[in-house]
Amino acid sequence: MSDLDDFKATYFDECSELLTELEEQFAAIEEGERGSDRLNAVFRAIHSIKGGAGAFGFSALVGFAHAYETLLDYVRDGRVELTDDVVHLCIRANDIVADHVNAAQTGEALPADYGAEEKTRFDAIARGETASDAGGEEAEADGEVIEDFDIEFTPVMVDLEAPKANGEAPVEDVFDAAPMTAAEGQWEIRFTPHRALYARANDPLLLFRELAALGEMQVRAVLGEVPPLSDFEPFAVYCAWEITLVAPDLGEDAIREVFEFVEGDCDIIIAQAGAVPGLAAAAAEPAADNTDAPASDEPDLSSLLALTEEEVAQPSEPVAPLASFAPEPAAPAVGAQDSFEEAPGLSFAALAEEIAPAPAAKAPKADTPPAATAAAKPVAAPAPAAGGDSEDNGSRSVGVQSIRVDLDKVDRVVNMVGELVITQSMLTQQMDETLRARYTELVRGLEVLAQTTRGLQDSVMAIRAQPVKSVFSRMPRLVRELASKTSKKIKLETIGENTEIDKTVIEQLSDPLTHMIRNSADHGIESPEKRLAAGKPETGTIRLSAEQAGGNILIVVEDDGAGINRERVLGLARDKGIVAPDFTPTDEQIDQLIFAPGFSTAEAVSDISGRGVGMDVVLSNIKKIGGSVHVRSWTGKGCRMTLRLPLTLAVLDVMLVKVGGGPYVVPLSSIVETMQCSRASFERVPSGGRVLQVRGEYVQVIDLAQRFDLTSQQNPDDQFVVLCEAEGNQKVALVVDDIIGQQQVVIKSLEENFESVEGIAGGTILGDGNVALIVDVQGLRTTHLRQNAA
Amino acid sequence: MTLRVLTVDDSRTILAMLHHTLSNAGFEVLQAEDGKQGLDVLKAQDVDVVITDINMPVMDGIEFIKNVRATGQHNSLPILILTTETSQDKRDQGKAAGGTGWIVKPFDPEKLISVIHRVVH
Repeated sequence: MSDLDDFKATYFDECSELLTELEEQFAAIEEGERGSDRLNAVFRAIHSIKGGAGAFGFSALVGFAHAYETLLDYVRDGRVELTDDVVHLCIRANDIVADHVNAAQTGEALPADYGAEEKTRFDAIARGETASDAGGEEAEADGEVIEDFDIEFTPVMVDLEAPKANGEAPVEDVFDAAPMTAAEGQWEIRFTPHRALYARANDPLLLFRELAALGEMQVRAVLGEVPPLSDFEPFAVYCAWEITLVAPDLGEDAIREVFEFVEGDCDIIIAQAGAVPGLAAAAAEPAADNTDAPASDEPDLSSLLALTEEEVAQPSEPVAPLASFAPEPAAPAVGAQDSFEEAPGLSFAALAEEIAPAPAAKAPKADTPPAATAAAKPVAAPAPAAGGDSEDNGSRSVGVQSIRVDLDKVDRVVNMVGELVITQSMLTQQMDETLRARYTELVRGLEVLAQTTRGLQDSVMAIRAQPVKSVFSRMPRLVRELASKTSKKIKLETIGENTEIDKTVIEQLSDPLTHMIRNSADHGIESPEKRLAAGKPETGTIRLSAEQAGGNILIVVEDDGAGINRERVLGLARDKGIVAPDFTPTDEQIDQLIFAPGFSTAEAVSDISGRGVGMDVVLSNIKKIGGSVHVRSWTGKGCRMTLRLPLTLAVLDVMLVKVGGGPYVVPLSSIVETMQCSRASFERVPSGGRVLQVRGEYVQVIDLAQRFDLTSQQNPDDQFVVLCEAEGNQKVALVVDDIIGQQQVVIKSLEENFESVEGIAGGTILGDGNVALIVDVQGLRTTHLRQNAA
Repeated sequence: MTLRVLTVDDSRTILAMLHHTLSNAGFEVLQAEDGKQGLDVLKAQDVDVVITDINMPVMDGIEFIKNVRATGQHNSLPILILTTETSQDKRDQGKAAGGTGWIVKPFDPEKLISVIHRVVH
């Protein structure tokens, strides 16, 4: 059912926010901030996660969250002291909750005993601190609930309170008892409301209505307590009722359930008049026993006391019976008769079923039973609770300031705005000088259009943008864990966490960042002894920063550790055949090797970094979202890894070029300059490649026509060269046939629509309808390097 | 006459589910994310019944109910407490503050409606 899926999507969204919140709160709690605000926020987060999980029947999650919540509750009210141990247990518990949420989302099954150990510890801590009072009992009760959830989760809405002071027989579980306890016959109920019942907006009339649905009913007012008018207290309650309910097959529990909400706010006595056959006859007359015959007090007072002013105006009528409800007409919904007659004891389910489809038909006046006596009329009239006829002014949802929109919908808008921007720029480009001179009005209109489109684009992008904080906030904890596992002293500094990036980029950022920080903590930062020996502060620093630079976001992970051990990296790379034995890479190339596929510093298959994946995963993840990674290392001083990410994934500034007659586009962000030169100026190098000398620097030449198996249509003496900068300031000269111009394009994924192609980052549709491929500069260079090295 | 329900909960999931269930059943649904917002809604609009969570930021459900009753204008406004608490004390606190009844999460849609009809005309 799609509604359910929608709710689930909302729920998982909410969970991820709550889990982030938990991280933040615990980061502060660990720093020693243990104020009740934080504890309450933590409690609420877990509580909300549990609440939603219950609704979807994620029983394992409910079970765990419940135990955790109980502990948090105890911590919150001081029954359990928040020691460091407890904090650590909680942090661990957050992970387990996150895993459960994840499992619920992906449909994976976690081991049945997942988190069982922690759960046991919660219980132990909770019990340990509360052994003296009812806590132990409570913990047991909670335990049962958890087990129920573990077996199969049944949504339960109403939960009967155990009866209090009035010494009634204990109420059994409502769902066991309600349907059919075969106590036949006639019930006598004496119901004496207290003032509190009215104060809490309960209304005897509604209770009677509900009772009436259970069987044939008569209500008599008991007015013996009504004082003389002079002694009247306006808010006092003087009226009680006696009810005779004829309902074979009805259990006492079903009757008690009607009074569930008012228990404690009234005196209620329920007795069975006797399981005599022929009840209808008995019920026709007011039951003789157990009744103070209705006094001949002022009859209209009863109405006044029980109900509203409106009813006072009603003419006097004999007091008893005040109301005579026949079950059929009293059932609030139309068409309910059949089900009630068939199964009078069914009460709730049936009632709900009948009511649910047509609650609007339930307007109070329509309820008035046709068969009711004149005196019954006031009873059925609207009580004050109706709150007046609410004006339908149509304004809804006052408290909510934001709306939730499907990301898909936003994406669609982003995409269309992208196309719009392109069309607009195409239009602008088509205006040549003659046209411009002739149609000044049109030109002005196009300028306005250009401005508006840009504005529209920015606004749409802003919808998708989120601060990187949501990712950064997970890192302090990671660093703490890493520090304790490696016995190093590490502090994390974060800068620029309010920098905003596209949501999809953010989602893809967590894994690479985690990996990079792991790498820094594991390989970069030295042990305290080594650091002291090297004259550095004992505590190492990892700095995580984000900033916007032009159309890119730069995320930098920097540490003041030992830097990359180039000798070892190169050695390993040679061993693994990543670098040919006769090739001598520069220092920068060596640094970059840590991202090479298949390069995993094997020695370091530690608990921390080496989870079987190397930094190449970082690179591929980042490339997937159109970014690049660059590493720079200073021996003995530290290492800096820079992620360059696009602000948005949708629109790209490109240069349009021609290769072998077809259009290709090169991302503008990687272009340094363009030039024209003869092929003769390309110099061969011994390894087989060719280089071009640009202002004293030798740059690798990649002939796109050759690379893509096309035939260049350009005069070799008059070749166009696009000088691009790849990662690590490495330049590449792309040889193209022609340079057409700059424009913006909307990226279409090649992987999604076709398959991944080396050297091509994606495709796009140009303004004239032609398809152009987007050149992947970094990819080309890597392949080129590999081919030449091999 | 369409009955108007104010739902107060800090969980969007719960708000969404309540909204779905209630609006399908023909109620008009107002939403607030904490007690304070709830009070603001009540100031601005007439409401037939309130469904409120207990654990909320800014102003929790207990405070909210107390405040609603303290206005003196909503003495007969039924307030249902939405709770997952298995322990009794929250519910008792809610009732002591002036709550009319309660709904235990997770709620069954049919039962939710029937409980509302138990407290609303």
